[in-house]
Amino acid sequence: MEKILIIDDSALSRKMLKGILIEGGYDVIEAAEGVSGIEKYFLERPAVVILDLLMEAMPGLEVLKKIKQLDQNACIIVATADIQEATKEEVMNEGATAFINKPFKKETVLDAVSRALKRRKS
Amino acid sequence: MILTDFQKDAITEIVNIAFGRAVASLSELTGSRILLTVPKLEICTIDQLPSVLMEILNSDVCTVHQIFTGEVSGDALLILDYKGATVLASLLTGEEIENMETSAKEVLIEVGNILLNACLGTFENMLHVHITFSVPHLHLNQLNHTLNTIKMGKEEIRYVILVVTTFTVKESNVGGYLLIVLGVVSLDKFIQCIKNLEMDR
Repeated sequence: MEKILIIDDSALSRKMLKGILIEGGYDVIEAAEGVSGIEKYFLERPAVVILDLLMEAMPGLEVLKKIKQLDQNACIIVATADIQEATKEEVMNEGATAFINKPFKKETVLDAVSRALKRRKS
Repeated sequence: MILTDFQKDAITEIVNIAFGRAVASLSELTGSRILLTVPKLEICTIDQLPSVLMEILNSDVCTVHQIFTGEVSGDALLILDYKGATVLASLLTGEEIENMETSAKEVLIEVGNILLNACLGTFENMLHVHITFSVPHLHLNQLNHTLNTIKMGKEEIRYVILVVTTFTVKESNVGGYLLIVLGVVSLDKFIQCIKNLEMDR
């Protein structure tokens, strides 16, 4: 079972995402903020990370840069309420695998994860 | 009114999503990228609101006020500090605006309408409640006066979901505050909707 790491400071969003991912047949681990998210990434080596952008302490963009700096092959899907194209461009330029918006739609989330996993294997 | 940590988190996240939609609309209008800070949530009675707001707002304000009715009813307010409001109006009209003339007022009412509708529309979609909006009004008087118009003729205890977030329009600091005022019955309904959301997953 592929392991997915959710890094999001919102318990509601983690709960919703976790429900979708478990239904999709994935093993889910969670982190409620950026630093512990980075730690969990390197301890647990998940296949995919789903990362929120707007977080206290360490913003999602910094988490993305840090993980990519340490592991260029990391598959990171940015999941945010910010629907601006400029934000999408910025995170994609920093190496994000995909960009999805909140509120989460089951099909969108599972499709993004599935594509990320295929890309990782190819 | 005591909310659980999960309920507070859920309200904050729903507002975060709502504001994400709202600022995207504002970004389209201004042609500039908008940056958001993490929203901070406070719940207080309307009588406590002036002192709570005094801690974050110490200048003249410009308020767009919209009443909403339906399964959950109340008042939604977008509060901008006066200087921020003139900067925003200047950005949107492409003209240097120092005072709130008629055209600037119309622009801000429309901005308020877009932002408040985006927020309330997200509540409607995520919580599955039907809401009808009134025409928004702009208040340029002191905040206390606006708050009094909300209190007038309403005897039930009114709670305020105060969400403080700052949106920054590229290279200009325009601060905005969103307030949602609900009667105790509506707040109960709102919390029930969040509980339903919690049980859905």
